[in-house]
Amino acid sequence: MTPRERMKAVLNFRKPDVLPWLESMYEETVLTWFRQGFPPDKVIVIEWEVGRGGTNLYNWPAVKGFDAYTYFGCQSFYGSVVPVDIGPLPRFKLKVLEEDDRYVTIRTETGAIAKRIKGEERTWYSMPMFTEFPVKDQRSWEEYKKRLNPRDPRRYPKDWSKDDYISAFENYQRGVTMMRFNGFYGFGAELMGIAPFNIMLYKDPELIHDMADYWEYYITETLRDAVDTLKDRIDMVFWWEDMAEKHGPLMSPKLFRQYCLPHYRNLTGFLRKNKIDRIMVDSDGNINPMLDLFVESGITGLWPLEVNCNMNAVEIKKKYGDKFFLIGNLDKRELAKGGEAMRREVDSKVPVLKEMGGYVPGADHLVPVEFSLERFREYTDYIKSLLPYE
Amino acid sequence: MNGTDAAGILEEISGAISNLEGIDQIKKLVERALKQKHSVTEIIEGGLKHGLDEVGARYEKGEYFLSELLYAGEIMTSLFDVLRPHMKQNVTGQMGTILLGTVRGDMHNIGKNIFGMIAQFSGFKIHDLGVDVDPKRFVDEARRTGADIVGMSTLLTSTLPEVKVVLDGLREAGIRDKVKIIIGGNAVTKQFGEEVGVDAAALDAVEGVEICKRWIAR
Repeated sequence: MTPRERMKAVLNFRKPDVLPWLESMYEETVLTWFRQGFPPDKVIVIEWEVGRGGTNLYNWPAVKGFDAYTYFGCQSFYGSVVPVDIGPLPRFKLKVLEEDDRYVTIRTETGAIAKRIKGEERTWYSMPMFTEFPVKDQRSWEEYKKRLNPRDPRRYPKDWSKDDYISAFENYQRGVTMMRFNGFYGFGAELMGIAPFNIMLYKDPELIHDMADYWEYYITETLRDAVDTLKDRIDMVFWWEDMAEKHGPLMSPKLFRQYCLPHYRNLTGFLRKNKIDRIMVDSDGNINPMLDLFVESGITGLWPLEVNCNMNAVEIKKKYGDKFFLIGNLDKRELAKGGEAMRREVDSKVPVLKEMGGYVPGADHLVPVEFSLERFREYTDYIKSLLPYE
Repeated sequence: MNGTDAAGILEEISGAISNLEGIDQIKKLVERALKQKHSVTEIIEGGLKHGLDEVGARYEKGEYFLSELLYAGEIMTSLFDVLRPHMKQNVTGQMGTILLGTVRGDMHNIGKNIFGMIAQFSGFKIHDLGVDVDPKRFVDEARRTGADIVGMSTLLTSTLPEVKVVLDGLREAGIRDKVKIIIGGNAVTKQFGEEVGVDAAALDAVEGVEICKRWIAR
């Protein structure tokens, strides 16, 4: 089986020949590994392209990034993604507003103002402190909406030739093909800030309903062409929410039912009509109180299932069976310790979940910088030994 | 006014806060209590704090979530705005002083702010040093303010070691035994708290404030 076939088998509760393994890595982690002896020639991605400027019409090697996933033999979420731009158009102009020895404050392309520690501003590991958000009330939301026009021709690539994309999505075999977008909590929290958005759920219900109504329309219409074209060549939907903290959901289940559930059902219904039914919510934190609502919403998969936040894939499997496929849930803190701690964590989950089915092992969130290269190699060797079925 | 009436309006305020009713509606209740000649202290102790305690209890029981905590904070802020002109003296800060900050290298502030907000409305004086706080600043400010409690927040696993740096700094300055240390944030576990040697590791803001209250009550 190809990596994609393995992944599709597990997402659909069928048995592959070898269990796929999926990780997501902070770029900062990979950069740290370079300092720890990661061989650049094995992971740097170079593409030959026509040289720019002057009369350089010959091909020239250009560094495009690095691919640590292939090197280790795991899959990622970033292989083949539907190339639709759901961001604000036009983008806000990225601008440095203030800078000193320690910090740089920027206006982001989504219109927020973010203060970052200098030297880490190009990575996401150390999150910035957002000091201002573009949507504050009905008036600023109306203004922002103008940038969320689903008919904007810039949303699709210039070379959006359907046959070529169909063929690319059919032929891709290195992992799952995906479509990504922000969910109804995530987009609101991103545009207003977590605290203001949560407060507005109580203070201005009309605004929140209007935002959620529009977001459903916007996402559906923006993606309609891609969904109509690619249909079930899209193996999985990556529905970003980040709607929970360690204690539980940020938005209460009661408010979720009120503000989000109808839109979830409409959107998952639209996808399902087009034969796309592997729909995974990405949310950190403790989402246990949301799981019944997710079933009702048409959500069929979960990642990353953070152990530190009381998420337990074995317990979820026992309770929900094949209602969810599960990815992650290996405690990154234990994995990073290496040795017995790492093996104990892997052994406590992978063999039993492998037999239960519908589970793809991986760390319970992005691989953190304190996970050393040496220990990640040790983890790689160990987990790979457990993946084949007899 | 008899005792029953007195208890009535304060209970009404408390109940309205714990049920997260509209801010304008609760403001009117507080204005009514003021007209009935309740002192600011009576209103805060008998109405506001009871209401907030109930919100915290419901959060701990899993009936309320962050959205409810934040809205309760919004209610409390609005009610203090109503009460402030009637305050003869600052009625907050009587529980003690908490020095608060997110450790160096970490810019997250939501959990810290919620902890600070609940602690403040529970009667603590808060010195919030903000985010990305240098360990030396924690030590200097602990000495300067005479804080009873130092609270450190860290969401990132990569910044957990900063907690030990601050602890070492407090020890070197000879003030470790004069303050209680509490930590919180996504990366924090009870086990880490024990290993590093803080007095408490809170798994959420409400638990953190309850621990601080117990310390002061002793």
